[in-house]
Amino acid sequence: MAPLTNASRALARSSLRSAATASASTTPIRAAALSTTTSAQGASATSSYESPFKSAGNTNKIPDFKKYMSKGSGGGNQIFGYFMVGTLGAISAAGAKSTITEFLKNMSASADVLAMAKVEVDLAAIPEGKNVVIKWRGKPIFIRHRTAAEIEEANKVTVASLRDPQADDDRVKKPEWLVMVGVCTHLGCVPIGEAGEYGGWFCPCHGSHYDISGRIRKGPAPLNLEIPSYDFPEEDKLVIG
Amino acid sequence: MASIASSSLYNALFRRNYTMLGAVFVGAFTFEMWYGSTMDKIWDKNNRGRQWKDIRSKYAEDAEEEE
Repeated sequence: MAPLTNASRALARSSLRSAATASASTTPIRAAALSTTTSAQGASATSSYESPFKSAGNTNKIPDFKKYMSKGSGGGNQIFGYFMVGTLGAISAAGAKSTITEFLKNMSASADVLAMAKVEVDLAAIPEGKNVVIKWRGKPIFIRHRTAAEIEEANKVTVASLRDPQADDDRVKKPEWLVMVGVCTHLGCVPIGEAGEYGGWFCPCHGSHYDISGRIRKGPAPLNLEIPSYDFPEEDKLVIG
Repeated sequence: MASIASSSLYNALFRRNYTMLGAVFVGAFTFEMWYGSTMDKIWDKNNRGRQWKDIRSKYAEDAEEEE
């Protein structure tokens, strides 16, 4: 057995060497072997396979589209295309806009709710220099019939020196009528009228002082008393809301 | 004649993008108005005689007296 294995080893070595030294000569052999197998397969398939491009001849020939082409210059088709694009765009824009507005309309308060949310006040019953507190949407509303001296006092204040700078003219529609939401802007207590260091309102909870225009002057509150939307539909009549 | 009109339309509206967009928005606006009024007309036609504005003449005097 030993001489046989030795001989086989030697054979393998010599073949390796020959492969390393003459690799260039082995590659053509391999290629030839490959080509022989392909040719054998081709020979077996020629009877059933036919190339679809063979009969076409020159494959670079552009087909004839004359049948499908526009008879005129094509401007009409262009116009038609743009017209359709534009019309679809317009209709979708209208639809999108109407969708949004309908949703917003649906979510906003309806007319009956708004009608219930209004309060009418007879101003003739309020004498000059008096406060009236009424309820509107669950919140107290302060109405003060201010005297001329109080209006003058409210206008005398330097606006720039205030914590929440706001002129008295911006807070009232008629200077003699001051209408405010009676909720302290600090933590929501109801201030007391005709009290405090500035002759206006005083919040007992944490000691915020508001002046005769409802502006914060001293204490922890950050903002002036809020002004609701109100209107004077006729003389001596006030509608809040 | 038609080609002249179409080419002028093309040059006026479709050639530049901003005119195209403007035309689309104007078209959307007019379409919406037209669509809304048409649908209102159809609604009124289907509900003729049942709406307040149709029967107001019968009750208008009473309503005024109440106020």
